[in-house]
Amino acid sequence: MNQADVSKLVSQLRIKVNPRLRKFRSPAGPEELNYPRADEARMYAERLISDAIRYGDCHKTTMEMADYWLVEKQLVHKLFKVLAPRYQNYTVSYTRMYKAPRPYPGNTNLKALLELRGNPYPALIPNTNNNRNLIHNVLLDEAKKEYRQQKYNEIAAQIDSSQTEAVSIKKDITEQSKECNT
Amino acid sequence: MIGIRNLIYCIHKNKANNFIRCITTASEEKIRQSELFGLEKKRQREAVGRIEKIEVQYEGVPENATLIMNKNLSTPYDCAKHINEMIMNRSVVALLNNDTVWHMHKPIPDSCKLELLHFKVAQPNMVNKAFWRTCSFLLGALASESFKDNVNVQLHSFPSPVIKSGSFVYDIQLSLDNWVPTVAELKVLSIEMVKFCQKHHKIECLDVSIDFAQEMFKYNPHKTKQIPDIAANNSDKVTLFKVGKHVDISKGPMISNTSQVGRFTLANVIKLDTDIPGDPIYRFQGVALPNSLILNHFAYGLLEERARKLNSARIPCKQGFSNEDHSFAAQIAV
Repeated sequence: MNQADVSKLVSQLRIKVNPRLRKFRSPAGPEELNYPRADEARMYAERLISDAIRYGDCHKTTMEMADYWLVEKQLVHKLFKVLAPRYQNYTVSYTRMYKAPRPYPGNTNLKALLELRGNPYPALIPNTNNNRNLIHNVLLDEAKKEYRQQKYNEIAAQIDSSQTEAVSIKKDITEQSKECNT
Repeated sequence: MIGIRNLIYCIHKNKANNFIRCITTASEEKIRQSELFGLEKKRQREAVGRIEKIEVQYEGVPENATLIMNKNLSTPYDCAKHINEMIMNRSVVALLNNDTVWHMHKPIPDSCKLELLHFKVAQPNMVNKAFWRTCSFLLGALASESFKDNVNVQLHSFPSPVIKSGSFVYDIQLSLDNWVPTVAELKVLSIEMVKFCQKHHKIECLDVSIDFAQEMFKYNPHKTKQIPDIAANNSDKVTLFKVGKHVDISKGPMISNTSQVGRFTLANVIKLDTDIPGDPIYRFQGVALPNSLILNHFAYGLLEERARKLNSARIPCKQGFSNEDHSFAAQIAV
């Protein structure tokens, strides 16, 4: 880090100055929680976000709850300014929980990963559903193509028949008018 | 499997849930073929002689590794066993040296790079083809085991797999005139297939000589005619595949285990208009999905509906046959 260590510069002071950057426990990647803790944290997070969407930042109780649960106060701003707008039209849960793999041999406690949906970081699990080469997608695409072709043919047949009808009506009219003239 | 006619009869008879399962034993011919296959496999194994070691460089998850395996004995499946159980179960076909698609249960002849492919890889074309081919092969197994003894079933051939056609195909000669299957019959057959797949049968593979293949299929007039042609295009070898007690000819590769088949529907059986002498030829058509790909029943219903229409693959005739080893499509794409 290129930043000056503040605590060394002001070593004479007796007041404790915290380092500016908060240390993450596992800086390499997302952090695994114990499963029960993740499960419980998820419920509170969902409630907090849904309240923020419902009542906004001018509601006293919601603000108090946010202040109580969010230890880092800058996250209160994030809750109302970033998360509430992001999730206001969501019809699914705001968070997603995965069971983390347990290496063998190793700790046998069940671990979990908790993430906010729609976050800008790389996906934890690659999304393969959009791969058009998977066998079910190939089959569905072809079925769709065939269905469309069938519909186009029907429409074309309809147009043809209506045209022939129109022509035959025209002929009838002209014949009738000729008969009238004679 | 069961005699379908018998079972349908039982459904009609008892109307309700308590229909009797009529289990017929596999025919003597089936048993003879599978025993022959087993003996030949054992013989080839013993013919390897002194065991030599090869280096197989595995590339993929969880990490790249170099495995010391036995030449002409170890299969890609054996390599997968060393890596991980999940890899072992999900791998469908192996890719050797980035270009050769290899059956999971076929011994590796030399040192090579190894990749194990599954249904969700980024470019699953080869895997899909192997799956579709296997489904055709399984249709053959289903048809040859489900009819009662008074119906003469002779497998003819299946064309090279074209997934875009919406259905896989097996052309089979039946001694039934104008058989139009009822919905119940199709359903029963589909269920039998799913139950068969759930028994987790390994799909085995074996390269044999022409004479052995002729001996194996001596009671099947169509296969006997096809064998010389097939061998001529495959350096005088015929590749046989076996699932359960059923043995058939195919170029391969196929998937490694029937547990990888999820949904399976026999969609329709259509009588074909051909000049082949003898009993009429029926085209068995079906649609299936791998176990790892989940599709809702509505979307799958659309696929089933489409698979009911007659598949446009070449109809077999007296002159040539549309076996996958021959067709143009099979040669340009694996």
